Amino acid sequence: MATHAPTHAHTDHGHGPGHHAPARPLSYWWKRAFVAVVTGVLFALGLVWFCRWAFGFTPLWEPQAYFTAIFIFAGIGFLIGIGCFDWWWDYLRGHRVSYEDHSMHGATSWKDYCRPNTDHKVIGIQYLVVTFATFVIAGLFAEAVRIQLAQPGEQFVNAQTYNGLFSEHATLMIFGFVIPVFAGLANYVLPIMIGAKDMAFPRLNALSFWLLVVGAVLLVLAPAFGAFSSGWTAYPPLALQGTTGTTMFEIAVQFVGASSIATALNFMVTIVTMRAPGMTVWRMPLLVWANMTTSALVVFGTPFIAGSQFMSLYDRVLGTSFFNAANGGDVVMYQHVFWFYSHPAVYIMMLPGFGIASEVIATFSRKPIFGYRAIAFSTVAIAILGFGVWAHHMFVSGMASWIRIPMMMTTIVIAIPTGIKIFSWLGTMWGGKIHLKTPMLFAMGFIVAFTVGGLSGVFLGSVPVDINVHSTYFIVAHIHYVLFGGSVMTIFAGTYYWFPKMTGRMYNETLGKWHFWLTFVGLNLTFFPMHWLGTQGMPRRVSDYAPRFANVNFFISMASILMVLGTIVFFYNMITSWHSGPRAPWNPWRGRTMEWLVSSPPSLFNFDAVPQVVGGPYQYGIPGARHAIVFAGPELGGGELTETEKRLILVVADQAVASQVLIDDVRKRNAEGFWRFTFVVPSTTTDHRAAERRLQVALAVLAESGIDANGTVIDAPPMQAIDKVMREENVHEIILTTFPVGSSPWLDQDLVDRARKATRVAVTHVTIRPNDARGAVDSKSVQRVAIVANVDIDNAGLAALVQARSDTQPLTAVVLCPLSLDGPGWSDEAEEIRTEASGRTATLIARLQEAGIQSRGEVIDGTPADAVRLARTAHHANVVLIASRPGDPITETDEITAAARGMSVEYVTTDGQASTAPGAAEGR
Amino acid sequence: MTTENVTLPGHDLHGGGAPAPPHRISQGMLVMILFLGSEAMLFASFFTAYFMIRFNIAANDWPPIRNTATGARFVLPKGITAVNTVFLVSSSFTLWWGEHRFKKGDRKSLERGLLVTIFLGLTFLVIQLNEYAHLGFTPQNKAFGSVFYSLTGLHGFHVLVGLILLTICYVRTRRARDFTPTRATVLGAASLYWHFVDVVWVILFLLVYLL
Repeated sequence: MATHAPTHAHTDHGHGPGHHAPARPLSYWWKRAFVAVVTGVLFALGLVWFCRWAFGFTPLWEPQAYFTAIFIFAGIGFLIGIGCFDWWWDYLRGHRVSYEDHSMHGATSWKDYCRPNTDHKVIGIQYLVVTFATFVIAGLFAEAVRIQLAQPGEQFVNAQTYNGLFSEHATLMIFGFVIPVFAGLANYVLPIMIGAKDMAFPRLNALSFWLLVVGAVLLVLAPAFGAFSSGWTAYPPLALQGTTGTTMFEIAVQFVGASSIATALNFMVTIVTMRAPGMTVWRMPLLVWANMTTSALVVFGTPFIAGSQFMSLYDRVLGTSFFNAANGGDVVMYQHVFWFYSHPAVYIMMLPGFGIASEVIATFSRKPIFGYRAIAFSTVAIAILGFGVWAHHMFVSGMASWIRIPMMMTTIVIAIPTGIKIFSWLGTMWGGKIHLKTPMLFAMGFIVAFTVGGLSGVFLGSVPVDINVHSTYFIVAHIHYVLFGGSVMTIFAGTYYWFPKMTGRMYNETLGKWHFWLTFVGLNLTFFPMHWLGTQGMPRRVSDYAPRFANVNFFISMASILMVLGTIVFFYNMITSWHSGPRAPWNPWRGRTMEWLVSSPPSLFNFDAVPQVVGGPYQYGIPGARHAIVFAGPELGGGELTETEKRLILVVADQAVASQVLIDDVRKRNAEGFWRFTFVVPSTTTDHRAAERRLQVALAVLAESGIDANGTVIDAPPMQAIDKVMREENVHEIILTTFPVGSSPWLDQDLVDRARKATRVAVTHVTIRPNDARGAVDSKSVQRVAIVANVDIDNAGLAALVQARSDTQPLTAVVLCPLSLDGPGWSDEAEEIRTEASGRTATLIARLQEAGIQSRGEVIDGTPADAVRLARTAHHANVVLIASRPGDPITETDEITAAARGMSVEYVTTDGQASTAPGAAEGR
Repeated sequence: MTTENVTLPGHDLHGGGAPAPPHRISQGMLVMILFLGSEAMLFASFFTAYFMIRFNIAANDWPPIRNTATGARFVLPKGITAVNTVFLVSSSFTLWWGEHRFKKGDRKSLERGLLVTIFLGLTFLVIQLNEYAHLGFTPQNKAFGSVFYSLTGLHGFHVLVGLILLTICYVRTRRARDFTPTRATVLGAASLYWHFVDVVWVILFLLVYLL
C-alpha cells in the first residue's frame, strides 16, 4: 500500500504493552478465566446452600435456585478472570493507576483479539466475529424449523423441541446478532467518523464486549440444559413452566442487556464530548445520528426488559407471585413491561441500519444525501414515538381496551418519519450516478424489503387486522421483512462497505453480488408466501399445520436454502478476502466521511493529530467541498495526511479527446477526489497517428494542470478497447465521450448502455459538439502554431510539414491566409479571389483536422505582416510558420519582424504540388 | 509516545481522569447522569409492576394482607421508616458538606463527610433489614409481597452499591490522594449516584409506604 505515513496498527510506535505490566501470554488469561469460572460456580453453590440453610428453606436442593446463582457467578467470574476488571481492581484498592494505561490497547496478532482489548477497532472486530458466529448458529436453528415445517406432521422433532428451536432462533438472532452486531460496526467506525482516537471509556467498552460473550454463550448453551421454549418474548405463565434453559435465557438477557447499556452510554458520551473540532451536530454523518438516537433508546429502554426478566426469574426461583393470578399477580403486566422495551428494541435493531443505509446510498449515488436534516429529525422522531406504541403487540392480550385506539394511532404515525427516510434515500438516488457495488445492492435491497415489511407493519398497527392475523404467519412474514429484509440487509451492506477499512483488503465483488442475489431472491421467496399463509390462517409457533398449506410450506423451505447458500458465499468471501484479498486503498468508495481519510486499517490511535472538520459529510459532486482535513503527526511535520494511491477513471473518446469540454470535465472530477485517469482512444483505421496527436494534446493539457493521466490508442472497436483495459486494471468509473446523437456512430451502436452492462461500473456520458471538439484548447503546454500562407495554402506538403511538427510536440494550428488585394475589395474579382482563398484555407484546416490537429483559420485582408500581427494579438500564437512556394518566397522583412515582436517566425517552402481535396472527416 | 502529547479537547482516552474544560461537563459526570437515567427506568419498571398489581385490587383492600391472628388489615411501619428516611436524606447533606468543604481545599472534611455518610447509609440498611425481619410477610406472600420486597430490595441493593462507591472514594482520598478540588470526577459521580439513591427512596417511601 502506497502511503507516506506510518499508519498501520501493527507498526507500533511506542504505545504497546510496556509501562504497566509485562505482556502475558494468552494462555495466562484463559487459565485465569477458567479458574475464576470454577470459583464462581463453587461460590454460587455455597452461597445458595448457605442461604437456604440459614433461612430454613426446604428442600435444600432446589435446582433452579442453584443454577441461577451458578450462571450469574460463573459469568461474573469469567469477566474477572479474563481481566476485564484488573484496572478497576487496582483503582479501588487505592493503588496508583495510569488513566492513560494502553497496556491492553491494539492488536499485533490474533491472540490480542482473544482477550480484553481497549482498542475500539479490535473490539469492533471481536463483536463482528462473535455476532456472526451467533448468526450462523441462529440460522441453523431457523433451517431446523424449516425442515420441520417442510411437510405437515411431526416428522422431525416433537412439539416441545420445535418450540425450543424457534425460541432459540429468535433469541439468538435478536440478542446475539442484530443488536450487538450494530454495536460492533459502530464501535469500529463511529469514533473514526467523528475524529476521535477511541471511545470515551475504552475499558468499559471491553467489558461490554465480554458481557456479550457471556450472554451469547449462555444463550447458545441453553438448549443443552433443556429447551427454552416459550418464544423469545418469554411470556408468563409459559416461561414460568420452563426448565434450566429458561433460567439461562433470563440471565443471558441480563448480561446482554448490561452489555448494550454500557455500549450505549459509551457511544453517547463519545458522541457528545469527543467530536473533532468543527464537527457540529449538523455535520455529523447520519450513522452518528442514528447511533446517538439508538443509544438513547437502549439506555432508557433496556432496563424494562431487565425488570421483566428479574420478575420472571424471581417467580421461578424465589417463588414470588408477580405473574401468579391466584396470588394477585398480573400476567398482562409482564407484557406491558416487556414490550415497553421490546418495541423500542425494534428501532434499536433498525435505526443503526438506517444510518448505514444513509452512508452507503449517499456514497454510491455520488450525490449529497437528500434531506439530511429530515433524516436526522425523523430518526429522533422514530425514537420518541417508539416509546409510545408498545401495546400494539398486545391487542389480543386482554389488556384494557381503551389503550388500543391511541396505540393504533401512534403506531400508524410512525410510518411518517419512516416514510420520510425512504423517500430521502430515493431522492438521494434520483439522478445520482449509482455505482452498483455490493454494499449499494444490499442498501437498495433493504429499501425494497423494508418497505414491504413497513407496509405490513401499518396493516398490523390497525386493531381489526391485527386481531385477525395476530397469531398467524402474517406476523412471521412481517417480522422477517423488517428484521431480515431491513436490519440484516443493512448489516451486510455495512459489513461489505467497511470491510476494506477494517481488514485492509478488498472483498470479492463477484461473490458479493452472488451473495446479494441469493439472499434477496431467497428472502422474498421465503417470506413473501408467509403473508398468504397468515391470511389463510396458518398459526405461528406450531410444529404442525393443516395439509392444505403443505405445498406452500415446502416451497418456503426450499427457498430458504437460497439464503443458506448466500450465507455460505458470504462467509467464504469474507474469510478468503480477509486472508488474501487484494490490498485495499484508503478510500475505495471515494467516501467523504472521516474513516475514509485514514489508512486501511487505521493506525493505532486513528489520528496522529487532531483532524479539522470543515463541511458536511455528504457533499459529493460539489467542486471543492470537503468534509474534514486529517493531519499527519508531528513526526511527519504535521501536514495534511493523504493517500497516495489513486483510483482509476477510464476516459474513452475518439475525436473529442482533446476538446476543452472534456478536459474541463476531467479537471473538475480530479478536483473532487483522488483519481488518476487513463485515456483510451479506440481506433480502427490503419493510421493511428491522428488519434495519437489528439491524445498527446489532451495529455499535455492535463499534465499542465497536475492531473495524473496517461493514455493509449488501442487498435480495436470501442467495446473491445474498454474490455481490454478493464481486464488489466481496476477501473472505478468510465467517462465515455461522444458527439451528440445523430453524428456519433458510437451512440448509434448504443455504446453507453452496452458499456454499462458489460463493465458493471458507473459510466458517465459526456456529449461534445463536433465544433467544440475541433476548436483549439487553451493551454500553455500546447504550442499554438500560426500558419501564414497565401497561394499554396492548400498544399499537401504544408499539411505534412505541420503533421511532422505535431509528432514532436502537441500543437494546435491557426491558419491565416493574407490577401493583398490591389484593387477595391468589393469588386467581383476580389470576391472571387477571396472565395477561392477561403476554399484553400478550409482544405488545409480539414486536412489538419483529419490528421488529428485541432485547427481553425480565416482569410484576412492584408499583408503577411498583418497576418503575423493578428496571429500574435488575437490568436496568441507561439510560433508563426510562413509558407510560400519555392519560386516565390516570402522573405523576412522588417515589417514582419516588427509585427512578430519577438515571437519566433519560421520560413518554409513547399514543393508546389497540386492539392487534392481531403475526404469528409468521419464524425464521431 | 507521540500520540499522548497531542491533547485533543475532551479526548481523555480512558475516562474519568482528565479535568474537563470549565465550560464543559466531564465525561465521567455525563456518563453517570445518563446511567442514572437508565437506573431510573429500571425503578420505573418495578413501579409499573407495583401499580399494575395494586390497581387490580380494590383500594380499601390494599395491602392485601391481613394479620393472621386478628384479621386486621396490615399496615406498613410508617413511623420507623420515616425515621430511616431522615437518616438517608441527611446522609445526602453530609456528603454534600464534605464535597463542599473539599472544593475549598479541606481534604480532612471530605474524609469526615464520607465516613459520616457511609455510617448513615449503613444505618439505613440495617434498619431496613431489621424491618424485613419483623414485617411478618415474605416475598412469597401475594403479589404485594413480591413487589414490595423487590422494590425495596432493589433500592437496598443500590444503597449497597452506593456505599461501595463511597468507600472507593474514601480509599482514593486517603490512600491515592488523587482527587483535587478541580479534578474529582469519580467523587462527583459517586456522590451524584448517592443523591439519586436518596431521591428514589423518597419517591418509594411516598408511593409505597404513604400512598
